[in-house]
Amino acid sequence: MTDVILEKVGKTYPNGYHAIPSVDLSIEEGEFIVLVGPSGCGKSTLLRMVAGLESISTGELRIRGERMNEKEPAERDIAMVFQNYALYPHMSVYDNMAYGLKNRGMAKNLIEEKVSDVAAMLGLTELLQRKPRQLSGGQRQRVAMGRAMVRDPKVFLFDEPLSNLDAKLRVQMRVEIRQLQRKLGTTTLYVTHDQVEAMTLADRLVVLNKGKAEQIGTPMDLYNKPATPFVAAFIGSPSMNLIDANLTEQGIKISEALTLPLSHQHRGGIVWGIRPEHLEVSDEHNADFALRILAVESLGAETLIHGKVETELGNGDPMVVRLSGPHLPDVNSLMWLTAPVLHWHLFDAKTQQRLRD
Amino acid sequence: MTVTFPQKGLPWLLLLPQLLVTAIFFLWPAEQALEQAFYQEDAFGLSREFIGLENFAALFTDPLYYQSMLTTLVFSFSVAIVGMSLALLLAVMADRVIRGKLAYQTLLIWPYAVAPALAGVLWWILFDPSMGPIALWLKSAGVDWNHYLNGNQAMILVVIASTWKQISYNFLFFLAGLQAVPRSLIEAAAIDGASPFKRFWTIVFPLLSPTTFFLLVVNLVYAFFETFGVIDATTKGGPGQSTTTLVYKVFNDGFVGLDLGGSAAQSVVLMAIVGLMTVIQFRFIERKVQYS
Repeated sequence: MTDVILEKVGKTYPNGYHAIPSVDLSIEEGEFIVLVGPSGCGKSTLLRMVAGLESISTGELRIRGERMNEKEPAERDIAMVFQNYALYPHMSVYDNMAYGLKNRGMAKNLIEEKVSDVAAMLGLTELLQRKPRQLSGGQRQRVAMGRAMVRDPKVFLFDEPLSNLDAKLRVQMRVEIRQLQRKLGTTTLYVTHDQVEAMTLADRLVVLNKGKAEQIGTPMDLYNKPATPFVAAFIGSPSMNLIDANLTEQGIKISEALTLPLSHQHRGGIVWGIRPEHLEVSDEHNADFALRILAVESLGAETLIHGKVETELGNGDPMVVRLSGPHLPDVNSLMWLTAPVLHWHLFDAKTQQRLRD
Repeated sequence: MTVTFPQKGLPWLLLLPQLLVTAIFFLWPAEQALEQAFYQEDAFGLSREFIGLENFAALFTDPLYYQSMLTTLVFSFSVAIVGMSLALLLAVMADRVIRGKLAYQTLLIWPYAVAPALAGVLWWILFDPSMGPIALWLKSAGVDWNHYLNGNQAMILVVIASTWKQISYNFLFFLAGLQAVPRSLIEAAAIDGASPFKRFWTIVFPLLSPTTFFLLVVNLVYAFFETFGVIDATTKGGPGQSTTTLVYKVFNDGFVGLDLGGSAAQSVVLMAIVGLMTVIQFRFIERKVQYS
């Protein structure tokens, strides 16, 4: 069943700034959708429009078939976890969680039951009488989630909830959020700028760029078949190598001295891409091209090699190679590489759209 | 951080102007008042006689003095509560204004720049029973306004005049306090189903309590000690004793009644009250009601 529908939803600010031109998205019940994009791409604005904290300028938002544009945040049956948690500092953990239920006129014993259930689930039982300032970052995060869960809403909204935590805790909370969401089966809309968070949490991802949804799909769809160079560069770490090239009869002409053979009916300017992990080490005779090594980053489990494509006419485009395991090639030496055609990504330079394979 | 001076003399030299001002205008008169409180002096200041604690004894058996204390309490709390309520209301509204915010806020701050005596005169004219526009309007509305005869009306007038000046100050602090309340808290409360009214009373107002407490102390001190100009310009403590606050009584008994000893004894009592309030102010403001 479709739970949340955004139909041509757009946002224009009173000063004329066109933050979001038009976004279409339909979310299935129980689905975990992540909105991801660089800062200023409009992802938080879109989330706040769903929450009712920002007005919707054009288009329509429907939750369970009901139009929500004119409804107050409280009437939308959503719960939100804020980036800074937004816990009420003068209230105890218990009161923070009970506040929404009290406002809805729930009976006191029912509130107690609900809060203690959720507190037990999140391991907050011991902390119910504390004030937010007496809690650690991870505990505050849990209280914020508890406050959202206790109301049993139709939709959870998360606005970069992990960005204030340290790296280790972030990984831990990421796993917890995913488990909880699976357990509760609540439809979730989650905003982040961190592509790792996005890839690991999402059932489906929405990559936003300048207020436009560049691509919507499962993490693997986006990884395997990015629709635009923007998505290609945004998803995956380190980013995909993207090089401006020309598609000719001979193949992909990367520079005057380097053409990779390919038969394709498209002609003209393209962006050629290959992921760092898909480049393979080869030898002088079988290689597609050579890389002049500029820097080596050894991470133990993998090695990142930064260099520039080298031809008879000199150094060209920068490129990153990712090899598993430790490698220690000399800086400034040459490395011979093959780029399997299977892993190429081609985009039209003008329309920025993926070319059919 | 401690700054050390190579010579011993320089720091004293730098402190000297401030110390001189303090000594001449504060310590010396205070000492004079203390001394005078134990003497009875004739009206021309030509002779005086040591009478011990008699001035104090007279003071604390005088029903008029207790009356004045009560007047001061009523006056001070009225000024503090009315001034703070109105300022909070204005600040909440100013916080919501989007267009012309600066102009609105600047206009609200202006009354603070008006001298107390001028504020008094302004309200005195507005409420003058025979020609003041507000008094005439009140009369046409059926209220018989004459603060020269009616003690309660006189009290209302001095409260209005004193409050008006203080609203700007309160407004500034409340506005800053409101702007320090994180937006996300109010948004979270909105999602939690709290009406705007409820959001204010359960979230915003408790978070403002450090500001509110600070302003309460400041306003009480203001009403106690800094409203002499306003009262003198509007009612001169009258009619009868109805607007004679403790500070006004010091002046009235000393310089109008020429009972310098009695007036000095009252000053000493006031000094004790100031000391007490200062202690309260420092004790509580540093400790009480601090969030985050």
